[in-house]
Amino acid sequence: MMRRTLLMLVVLVCVLPVAIGISAQDDITLDFYFPTAVDGPIVSTIEGYVAQFNEANPGITVVPSYTGSYTQTRDTIVAEGMEPIVDVAVMLSTDLYSFIQEETIVPAQSFIDTMDDPAAFVDDFFPAMLLNSRDADGTIWSIPFQRSSVALYYNADLFEAEGIAVPTNTEELIAAAQALQTEDRAGLLIPVAGGFPTWMYQAFAAGFGQPLTAEDPSVVNFNSEASLDAVTFLTLVGTSAEDGGYGVGPAGGSAWGETPTAFLAGQAAMIYHTSGSLSNLLNNADFTVGVAFAPSGPEGPATVLGGGNMYIFDDGSKTQEELDAAWAFVEFMSSPEIQSDWGVASGYVAARQSAWDMEPLASRVEEFPQYGVTRDQLDVAVMEFSSYDSINIDGIVNSTLSGILSGEVPLEEAQATLDTAQAQIDGLLDAYR
Amino acid sequence: MSEHLPEKTRNWSVLTPYLLVAPTVILVFLFTVYPSFQTIYQSLFQPGLSRSDPPIFVGLQNYVDLFDSTHFLGSRLMLIFRNTLVFAGATVAISLPIALVMALLVNRRVRGLALWRFSFFYPTVLPLIGAASIWAFLYADTVGLINTVLRSLGLPSVNWTGDPNVVLLSVTVVNIWKQTGFYMIFYLAGLQSIPRDIYEAAALDGAGYFQQLFRLTLPLLRRTTLFLLIVSFTYAFQTVEHLQVLNQGNPADRGNLLLYFVFQLIGSRRNLGYVNAITVILVGLLLIFTISNFLIFERGGDDDQ
Repeated sequence: MMRRTLLMLVVLVCVLPVAIGISAQDDITLDFYFPTAVDGPIVSTIEGYVAQFNEANPGITVVPSYTGSYTQTRDTIVAEGMEPIVDVAVMLSTDLYSFIQEETIVPAQSFIDTMDDPAAFVDDFFPAMLLNSRDADGTIWSIPFQRSSVALYYNADLFEAEGIAVPTNTEELIAAAQALQTEDRAGLLIPVAGGFPTWMYQAFAAGFGQPLTAEDPSVVNFNSEASLDAVTFLTLVGTSAEDGGYGVGPAGGSAWGETPTAFLAGQAAMIYHTSGSLSNLLNNADFTVGVAFAPSGPEGPATVLGGGNMYIFDDGSKTQEELDAAWAFVEFMSSPEIQSDWGVASGYVAARQSAWDMEPLASRVEEFPQYGVTRDQLDVAVMEFSSYDSINIDGIVNSTLSGILSGEVPLEEAQATLDTAQAQIDGLLDAYR
Repeated sequence: MSEHLPEKTRNWSVLTPYLLVAPTVILVFLFTVYPSFQTIYQSLFQPGLSRSDPPIFVGLQNYVDLFDSTHFLGSRLMLIFRNTLVFAGATVAISLPIALVMALLVNRRVRGLALWRFSFFYPTVLPLIGAASIWAFLYADTVGLINTVLRSLGLPSVNWTGDPNVVLLSVTVVNIWKQTGFYMIFYLAGLQSIPRDIYEAAALDGAGYFQQLFRLTLPLLRRTTLFLLIVSFTYAFQTVEHLQVLNQGNPADRGNLLLYFVFQLIGSRRNLGYVNAITVILVGLLLIFTISNFLIFERGGDDDQ
């Protein structure tokens, strides 16, 4: 009996794909690549959305593929000789100009313009969410999907016990960190060690008066006064008081992955991290986790956006039906219903304003007002670093910052180092001016 | 000899060796020679700004840029090159002696021999990425095991992957830990191929353990050592996966290695010319090293015999 059931199952498993293949012959099949960058069962959540879409859209079959990190996903797509290119992918919003140069993406604008009410669609996104979607001419290329920003997390129980107010600027930030640090507890961890200091740095560059980039993709401001102030501040956070620093965190900053772990273990009073870590921190802390606007400037809070957008690809081989189907999928994934669910499941900031009035996000915000902070913070957010040849320029910025922050380059030489880096950046950008 | 054979057989006997090596020659040509020339050829070009722009012939400019200390890649290459030499040199200089000692230890009859051999060898069977994840936990700054132990002993903690003066040491230690067991296997095989009676004769002549070790064992392991020198040195140039987990080459490239640098650059199509040029330099260096090593040791070997 058992054996027969097993046999039936084997036969079924063998035959089913064939049967599906035959019935789906005339359907449009779309490949969808997505990376993950935060903790949690992200892959199964996204596969669930895809299944919903496939069910609601007979005639279109989206095949989701988890493709590792953002970098791995980009390298997979950019790899030479891949034809036909993937249909839809979630990629860093800052990869925009790389793909425009590759001539492999279709502007979302061309689909938006054919909608019944384009303005209603575009205006429902928080304006800040579209900053990295538009090119210098205002054309929208990509649609926000998994978006985040730099935020301040604090141990609210500690702040209450010590009667300290939540900081709103850099001066208060250091004062609070100094008051709360002990032998076993850092006052403030800012993850600028290792991986990618550029992102955190951008929040401070904006806070000190000039963001790293603006709309023009051939301009990068790396040796500005604000830039020097930002990198000086970040260095002093990890410099001991005897050496003239604030001495509230480890020298060179903390590592990205360790920072939430240390915070949860009570080894840090405050941390800077992505808003995407919110769900993880709320679910796992045995104290009250507070979230505040990142107090990254002397005058007040400032933050930078981050995360991934959805791009539609075409290497010239796609039919209009295929492209329309790809847009239908992108529209579905950015719909308020999905964004509302996605915001709760992942901790990413839902990109559509109407998503926040829908379930399950509405009641989550009611229960945990912390989620609302990451949304309201969009008002003080600047666009993320975006330029031509962004991969190389990002490399220059990263290694320059890393040199100063780690103490390899003394602060007295910081300006000269920034100038050298700026000259190299301008050398690369000259080709586009 | 062949002139005594019938003509047909003679033709075949001339052809046969060529036919026999043909599959190998074709494979080597397709997968080694052709790509190598392709790499050299492409190192003479810069890609166009957009995909549809044709590549621009720049001659040796990519090489000039790479050795120009004001260029955005040239300013990084020299440091990374030096790191790579230190990394490879230290790996070889430290892991081979340890491998030999471990091989001598597990070549004796001791209780639980299999367990000892396994525990020395097991880092080798771990994928490097997995091993690096273990070390990432050991090295972690605030929550890491090593720093926790240091602090509990009242010692200052060390930022193993964040301090520019320590990071190269940290990534080298992981590689030594990972590779030593592998090299031990070769020494063990070498030791077991040495006939026992030589030692018996030496013992009869009154040679002590260390005399036997330095006068017999080490000279007889010379071939193994030559082989391991070449293999471990070239291998050290190729093992960079752990950087992805530990430090991504940071801080400030003080913990970066050549092949990982290539990997970092390859993400952008704009860098194809440079990537090919660095690859040519890397392969050229390894070739010079391998050939000179063979020449030196082969000569020395002949003198012995």
